[in-house]
Formats: sequence, C-alpha cells, structure tokens
Amino acid sequence: MQITVFQAALIALFYYLAQSPWLMGMGYWTLYRPLIAGVVVGIILGNPTQGAIIGASINLIYLGFISAGGSLPGDPALAGYVGTALAIGSGIDVNAALALAVPIGLLGGLIWFGRMTLDAIFVHWADRYAEQGNTAGVAFANIVPPQILLFVICFVPAFLAVLYGPPAVKGAIDFLGAKVFHILIVIGGMLPALGIAMNFRSIGKGQTLPFFFLGFLLFVYLKLSIIGIAAFAVVFAFVYMHLHKGGMKSDA
Amino acid sequence: MTPERKKLGYWDLLKSWVLWSFYSQACYNYERMQASGFAHSMIPIIKKLYTTKEDISAALKRHLVFFNTEPNVGAMIHGITAAMEEERANDQPITDEAINSVKTGLMGPLAGIGDTLSQGTVTPILLALGIGLAKDGNLFGPVIYILLEAAVIWGIGYFMFFRGYKLGRTAVERLLEGGLVKDLITGAGIVGATVIGALTASFVGLSTPITITVGQQVVKLQADFFDKIMPQLLPLALTLGVWWLLNRRKSPIAIMGYLVLVGLVGSLLKVF
Repeated sequence: MQITVFQAALIALFYYLAQSPWLMGMGYWTLYRPLIAGVVVGIILGNPTQGAIIGASINLIYLGFISAGGSLPGDPALAGYVGTALAIGSGIDVNAALALAVPIGLLGGLIWFGRMTLDAIFVHWADRYAEQGNTAGVAFANIVPPQILLFVICFVPAFLAVLYGPPAVKGAIDFLGAKVFHILIVIGGMLPALGIAMNFRSIGKGQTLPFFFLGFLLFVYLKLSIIGIAAFAVVFAFVYMHLHKGGMKSDA
Repeated sequence: MTPERKKLGYWDLLKSWVLWSFYSQACYNYERMQASGFAHSMIPIIKKLYTTKEDISAALKRHLVFFNTEPNVGAMIHGITAAMEEERANDQPITDEAINSVKTGLMGPLAGIGDTLSQGTVTPILLALGIGLAKDGNLFGPVIYILLEAAVIWGIGYFMFFRGYKLGRTAVERLLEGGLVKDLITGAGIVGATVIGALTASFVGLSTPITITVGQQVVKLQADFFDKIMPQLLPLALTLGVWWLLNRRKSPIAIMGYLVLVGLVGSLLKVF
C-alpha cells in the first residue's frame, strides 16, 4: 500500500509524542515501546492487528532495553514506528522489518545525542531566568524551546523515513553515519564534565576533594556500582565525623 | 511574637510531583541532565515558601545544578528536598550545601534501584505479557500493558515522593533538635563528593585513538599509556580542568563553548 503524506505525518507525530513529556512522563513507558508503536502505526494504516504483531516482534529485540544515566543503546521507538510502517507500507515481511529496525534504532540514537547535546543550551536560559527570580521563565525554558527542538529533530526524520521508505532510511544512515555520529558522541561525552564540576563546586569546600577521588577510584579500580559506592561513602562519612569529634568529645 | 510557621500543604506537594512526572526530562541534556526539570518541579514549593525576589531567585538557582536519577523511585528526593526547603523557609540553618549534598548523595543510589526496578524488572515482565497476547493478534495485549504499566510507574512515583516528604521532615527535625546540622552537612558533603567522583568515571567519556609508531613498535596512546596509568584518566583530567576553570570564575556558558569547540575540532583532527 502507498502511505499518504497525512499518515506519515501522523506516525511521525506519535514518534515525537513517545519522547515528549505531554503524557505525564508515560510516553517513555508506553508509546516509546515498539509493541505500542506497532499498534499505533497499525491503526493509522488501517491494520491494527498486523501492526501489533510486527510491533511485538520488534519489541522482542528491545525487551532488555534499559536507558540508564541518559545513555541510549539505540532507539526502540524509532525502530518501532518506522520499522512497522515500512513493513506494512512496503509489504516487506516481518523478518526484513526486523533487519531494518536495528539500523533505524541506531539512527534514532543520533536523534537522542543531538537532543541531549543541544538541550544544554536551554539550561543556561533557565539560569538567566533564575537569576531574575522568574519562576515562569524557568518553567518556560524547561519546556518550550527544548520541545520545539525535539519536535523538529524527531518529526522530520521519521516523516521522511516513513514517506520515502527503505532506500531513504539506508541512504540517511550511510550519509550521516560515521562522522557526525562520532563528533556528537565525543561532545556528548565531554559535556557532563561541566555539570559534574559545577555540582562539585557547590558541595566541595576543599575538604571533600579526597572523597571525590575516592569515589572515582572505587569506580574505576574496584568497579563498584554507584549504590555500592554510596554505601561505602556513608560508612566513610560516619567514621570521618566520629574521628573528627573524638578529639573534642570523649563520650562520642 | 514568633512569626507564623510556613507550611506546605498536600496540594503544593501534589503539584510538585505532577510537574516532576510531566517535565522531569523535558529538557534532558548531557551537561546537567534533569536539572531544569528539578527546578521546575520545585516551583510550587518555592512559591509557597518564599516571597522576596532574592529568596525565589536563590532557590531556583539552588535547584538548577546537575541532577540525574530515575524519575519515579528518585521522586523520594523531591519529597525530602521539599521538607528541607520548608525547614529552611522557617529560618532553620539549612544551607544550600546541605540540600545539594542530600540530593547528590541520594540520586545515584535511587537511580540504581529505580532503573533495576522499573526498567529492568517491571517493564520487561509487563511487556512480555503484552507481547505474548499481541503476537497472536490480540489487541488487548497492548491495552493491558499500558494500563498496568501506568498504574505501577505512577504508583511508585507518588508513593516515593510523599514517603520522602514524611521521612525528610522527621529526619530533618530530629537532626535540628540534636544540633546535628553540621554533621548532616559534613556527612552529606562526603557522600555527595564520593558519588560525584564515581559519576565522573561513569558519565564523562573521553578517549583518544592516537597511535604512535616508534620504530617497529606501534603504541596505542589510550590502551598502552593512559589506561596503564589509570583507567578513565582523561575524563578525570577533563572534569578537574573544568572545575579549575570554574574556580577561576569562568562562566559556565563560556566553558560549554570551549567543550563543544574542543570536541568538534578534536574529533575532526582524529585526536578523540
């Protein structure tokens, strides 16, 4: 079947909604999953049952999908929406759709990197509003500009991919792939240094610097989890304070 | 005459939780992660507790620092923070440092628990249920999944938020009575700094593909040199470098510009 412009736009809109905050945070837990994406695309294209079956198959790849610490191993939602649309639209079978879904998921990773990098700009807008004591401004900076950005970078690629089909998807991946991907990964890796350093500066008045190193070393050498490191830190904090007080109070 | 105690009501707290549930990741970014989402969720609390422009501005800035957790289990932090803000607004000696340390110390561990619970356990189990039905073309599969998932995820978030507020108030009150505020600040500062150190190793990424050929021998700068001295050495150096720049009163925006520039040029020149 031929996918119309309207149908493609609708599918792309749902892909955006999956990543947007508008469903009280529930987008990520529902629309983001290929299972739901498949049904939605199925309904839009007039075949919900087939959509559900294809979405369920794609979702199997991402069953163990976890996004922790803001890093995404691919994008199940893009794989779900575009994969299902291509499978129903181009009449390719479920397995071929699965084969396409994985690289599409990678392309989605690029959207994620772009968003996570560019959104850093708007936090600085929020800083400026905070300086003025403008609560509405902080709320604005948190929602409006990042969502406009997110809408554009989600809607456009999904729309084009659904409308122009498998060749478009492959072309886009080949064209953007290696280089742009790499630059964004490098910058995306470096930016947390700023946020972390800013936070440390607001905690660290010199005396906590050794503990900063301690946390770092526990992670790289002992490979402890963050929970484990925090548990150790609590013990260290108790010991530290006990020793500190011991000099002044004998009953401590 | 003692001034009337400022108090947060159920609706202030509910509004805060709803705002957080909606917009925690509306402006998710690598630099400060959910910072603006956190500040946004504190607006109902801030508006209720503070009246002067200076106090409101200080509170907003206090909550615009690096923050990242699993939004639902992590909502406990918001409850605790709301309780701490309430005490602070009633002239208790709770510093910015104390609030920030508590947030930073808790966000990592609660994220670990939250990711394991919600993303790692609940979601795959419910998805498996939905997929099982949908595979046979049964459209109730996805519907059941959405209903159960929403109930569980929102349920966790609501419970944790209000639990945190209750816990935070009693914990904070007890500490104040015993005059243990300084201990709280020192202790939380230590836990916070340790977690921040660990986050540096896990969040910041920087490595180099440079190889140096010495005669017959090819030396991989990253694997054979940096990693031999210390794993994650470059991220550590980068973070300390940024910290140093901040202490030199360089503006965060300028530093962000440097980072983008260095990352861009560095990757084009194949240094990173």
